[in-house]
Amino acid sequence: MEHHQYLRSPPQALSQSNLSLFSSIQLVDFQWKLGMAVSSDSCRSLKYPYVAVLLKVADHSGQVKNKCFEMTIPQFQNFYRQFKEIAAVIETV
Amino acid sequence: MAAELEGSKALGGLLSGLAQEAFHGHQGITEELLRSQLYPEVSLEEFRPFLAKMRGILKSIASADMDFNQLEAFLTAQTKKQGGITSDQAAVISKFWKNHKTKIRESLMNQSRWDSGLRGLSWRVDGKSQSRHSAQIHTPVAIMELEIGKSGQESEFLCLEFDEVKVSQLLKKLSEVEESISTLMQPA
Repeated sequence: MEHHQYLRSPPQALSQSNLSLFSSIQLVDFQWKLGMAVSSDSCRSLKYPYVAVLLKVADHSGQVKNKCFEMTIPQFQNFYRQFKEIAAVIETV
Repeated sequence: MAAELEGSKALGGLLSGLAQEAFHGHQGITEELLRSQLYPEVSLEEFRPFLAKMRGILKSIASADMDFNQLEAFLTAQTKKQGGITSDQAAVISKFWKNHKTKIRESLMNQSRWDSGLRGLSWRVDGKSQSRHSAQIHTPVAIMELEIGKSGQESEFLCLEFDEVKVSQLLKKLSEVEESISTLMQPA
């Protein structure tokens, strides 16, 4: 009999109720780009860097989809920090 | 020009209203609303060009993302112009920009992002183990939920599963991003 045990979750963890394993998807590829927004029609002096991410994800049927999003630098650093935590935890299992 | 327009008391409120409409996407802040709330003694005909002048000044400052030296120079020039602003008004505008600059910049950044942004992130690590006679098989799995969404639209939730190998691979990529960022941020 197989069972899942919670080993470690951060304060804002997923609760079991909003997560069904049947809906989770596999990351097939992670592509990134570091961009710099220079100027726009509403702001001539934007000059902010951002990280653009393209995720290729596959659901259980094997269909691959692209999902894109952008992060500001502080958001990326939080993302990276959280991921390092995941890596540390998964190693101890 | 009506005496009220030369004053500076209501100007702070006016700039707030203008910022709400121009940057923060607040609908329904009309000329008439601003006039009746802040400059009730002034006629609409006189108010209109005054409002346009203040809106123009605020947009110029935001568009150039002025630092305090540039702001100083810019506002001083405005006080010397024919039909410009008074030095009291310049002081109000300066104070307004100092207090609201970060928020306005954030709104401008969001306005120019047309892809989804990252709205939330949560995760947990599960360990699958088999019991009952068979050997304990530990295959830990990290589950990460990303909340992404475009400006003004509902969020999309992506629930991703990673095993140890995938975690390691992605971690390597993220460190490459971090390296790029460091290179970018280095002083020229």
